[in-house]
Amino acid sequence: MKAAPTLSPAFLQPAGGKLPEPLLTLRQQRGKALVDMPLPTRKTENWKYSSRHLKLTEELANSLPSGRKAGPGLALDHPHILIHNGVVVPEASDFPELDGIEISSFADLDDDTAGQLAERLDNTLDNQAIQMARLNAARFEDGLYIRLKPGAVLEEPLYVIIETDAGASGSAYPRLYVDVGANSQMTLVEEYISSGDDAALVDSVTEFSLGEGANLTSIRLSLEGDSVQHIGATGARLLGHARLDSHTVGFGGPLRRHDLQVRLEQPGAECRLNGVAVSQGKQHYDNHTTIEHVAPHCNSEETYRNIAADESHIVFNGRIHIHEDAQKSAADMNNKNLLLTTGAEIDAKPELEIYADDVTCAHGATIGQLDDRSLFYLVSRGISRQHANTLLTMAFINELVEQIPVEAVRQTTQARLNQFIEQAFEEA
Amino acid sequence: MANTEKQVDEAIKREYEAGFVTDIEADTFEPGLNEDVIRRLSAVKGEPEFMVEWRLKAYRRWLEMQEPDWAHVNFPKIDFQNISYYSAPKREEDKPQSLDEVDPELLRTYEKLGIPLHEQEALAGVAVDAVFDSVSVATTFKDQLAEAGVVFCPISEAVHKYPELVQKYLGSVVPHGDNFFAALNSAVFSDGSFVYIPKGVRCPLELSTYFRINAANTGQFERTLIVADEGSYVSYLEGCTAPMRDENQLHAAVVELVALDDAQIKYSTVQNWYPGDEEGKGGIFNFVTKRGMAHNRAKISWTQVETGSAVTWKYPSCVLRGDDSVGEFYSVALTNNWQQADTGTKMVHLGKNTSSTIISKGISAGHSSNAYRGLVKYGPGAGNARNFTQCDSLLIGDTSAAHTFPYIESKNKSAIVEHEATTSKVSDDQMFLCRQRGIDPEQAVSMIVNGFCKEVFKELPMEFAVEAGKLLEVSLEGSVG
Repeated sequence: MKAAPTLSPAFLQPAGGKLPEPLLTLRQQRGKALVDMPLPTRKTENWKYSSRHLKLTEELANSLPSGRKAGPGLALDHPHILIHNGVVVPEASDFPELDGIEISSFADLDDDTAGQLAERLDNTLDNQAIQMARLNAARFEDGLYIRLKPGAVLEEPLYVIIETDAGASGSAYPRLYVDVGANSQMTLVEEYISSGDDAALVDSVTEFSLGEGANLTSIRLSLEGDSVQHIGATGARLLGHARLDSHTVGFGGPLRRHDLQVRLEQPGAECRLNGVAVSQGKQHYDNHTTIEHVAPHCNSEETYRNIAADESHIVFNGRIHIHEDAQKSAADMNNKNLLLTTGAEIDAKPELEIYADDVTCAHGATIGQLDDRSLFYLVSRGISRQHANTLLTMAFINELVEQIPVEAVRQTTQARLNQFIEQAFEEA
Repeated sequence: MANTEKQVDEAIKREYEAGFVTDIEADTFEPGLNEDVIRRLSAVKGEPEFMVEWRLKAYRRWLEMQEPDWAHVNFPKIDFQNISYYSAPKREEDKPQSLDEVDPELLRTYEKLGIPLHEQEALAGVAVDAVFDSVSVATTFKDQLAEAGVVFCPISEAVHKYPELVQKYLGSVVPHGDNFFAALNSAVFSDGSFVYIPKGVRCPLELSTYFRINAANTGQFERTLIVADEGSYVSYLEGCTAPMRDENQLHAAVVELVALDDAQIKYSTVQNWYPGDEEGKGGIFNFVTKRGMAHNRAKISWTQVETGSAVTWKYPSCVLRGDDSVGEFYSVALTNNWQQADTGTKMVHLGKNTSSTIISKGISAGHSSNAYRGLVKYGPGAGNARNFTQCDSLLIGDTSAAHTFPYIESKNKSAIVEHEATTSKVSDDQMFLCRQRGIDPEQAVSMIVNGFCKEVFKELPMEFAVEAGKLLEVSLEGSVG
């Protein structure tokens, strides 16, 4: 037996950044734990289909330098925050004005808050299972801390633009911690973008902690360029009657991986997870989701749709775990996939793990191509085959995109997806 | 309801009826495994040179392999050096020519199980190649089969009589190094059945083998090979019961099916090995590799009713290599007390227009754990391939667990896969509807669960329907909880 490859020591060099003491200590501890961390291989169950795309070359071990002063974005007239190569840039940000909200970079936190944060960091994630989130914990140089006080309502969506500047080879470790207080509400848009053409790695972690009755809408767009590998993890813990609406839209890359873990910890918590992933060329996209029904009387709904074109590869792994005593749980998972060409590949693994009897759980998964009859219907009414293809394909994912509650984001996303689909059918 | 609960408890607590030990002196090897043991085993059976080489090749491969741990089951580590790899019932110099010559003790064992050979002889249409522990001791209806040109004999006999067929097909579907337990089986298999159906022949009888594990501390390693030549048809029945034992017994069988062009194989199993007692003590470890290779327009159908064994690890699979070939998998798996099952199927679509159907019904009661694990895979050449999968789980009691781990992999755009799974208990609505119409709860649950398993039961051959019904009774009655 060949020994499993381990993380190159180059990745374990001391990271920079000006962090408050408690976070520095935490980072050092995490770094020590990573020595000889085995890298995922084909035999690692949760990396079965993606490990061959993961390329942690030594040139990626260097932290990308941060220094940008102004940022591009989706909608700069809205409140927004720029994270550049893992570091918050207040000069290029426009913080929302509301008494009930506290926003700070990790670097600017006072020792007390930093101490509290250090205790809670990574609490939402099953860290052993998400190897790359452990690397983030050992390397993050800054982060964004958002706290919504109990009862506060942020009407406008808050944009966080996470830019990776691949002007040179290296890696960035952006990190977000969002504490949504009891009965408060907000919409957060995370937009991952990149500039530059050098090979880069983004290893991001976002954590949501939802208090009782809190309501969070999270929109996550993964739009980086073709030289960037992005491995991201999102963890969320929900207390009683809290609600999480998650919308993720991702475009493929050399490697795009998103782990989304939701824990429904008290009765009445609920979540809805919508996801769209598209890929073309030789791109790769991997979505792994886990919903933990820890407490009884929780609901979850999950819908993921994927489109793979050319020689690209998409993976969906959805897991629903109903714990013992989580009676009256209702969980529904649905995954549909479109393969546009025979060179492409889609792998789906919808899992149920159930330890309570009074539950209703279901999942469905399909992989296929466009329905011939629908195509015929359109073509017989004088619509060109190409246009019919694009229409139906767009309709397939638009069902989910339409549910994105922020109009500006929805429109931009639809435009981008349309462009992708038209391109896919032109080449075919 | 109190009365019903009592009945349920009784039903769930019912002891294993087939638990007894037949007192027959067995000719058994000392525990342990090495190359010498394999040579000795091969020598005892007087096997030709190619078999010895094949076994040793498998053994050497096995030494390099690691025991798999991905299945959703827990059991104490098996000491493979503490198992005896050969046990044959004591018998006369020559094999018995008729039932009269068979050890009466053995015949009584079958009688206790309700499958006496005499009756089976009378039950027209069933030939039995009974495997008692490792060596086949009685084979019936040979003449009738011989007339049709069908070969149905112990595989140890086939090695001598039909070496060219054995050499060609043995290991062609499950290679000697396929997986840990298949490699072990290839190295030490003692006996099993061999079936060959010639071109264009529809086998006149439903072939049936009853397996029993008997001598204590003896792992049983059957090897079954069924070859259906072009355009032929065969239906094969396998049923198992085992005596009550406190020590875990290992069972690692391999079944290989080869369906050549236009052939059809239907393979049905009722498995009722000793599941261990109420505390989860004892019981059989059932680690089986079953796989069929379907050539052009061939069809392979697996039907199984799994109620026994402490730990089950079994994935009857179809490799749909030929164009237009068909694979089917129908399964009812019931676990109770501390039983653990991780079972399912693999459908590997390689040819064009291939289609497969998977219907899996899992029922878990007590502290048991029941997992469906399946793979549907489309290769790039599997144009217009189709799969439909439905796996449903029914939970009885709040300490049982049910899991679904389906893997779906597609590399062909015109191939379509549909997968659905549900998990629930018997719904209050269904119960209400039945009770409102004057049906008592026991009967209502019986109806509902019967309906739950119906799709699978209707695939079973008549000969098995009775036995399956009897075995499932426990689950039917126990579903009220």
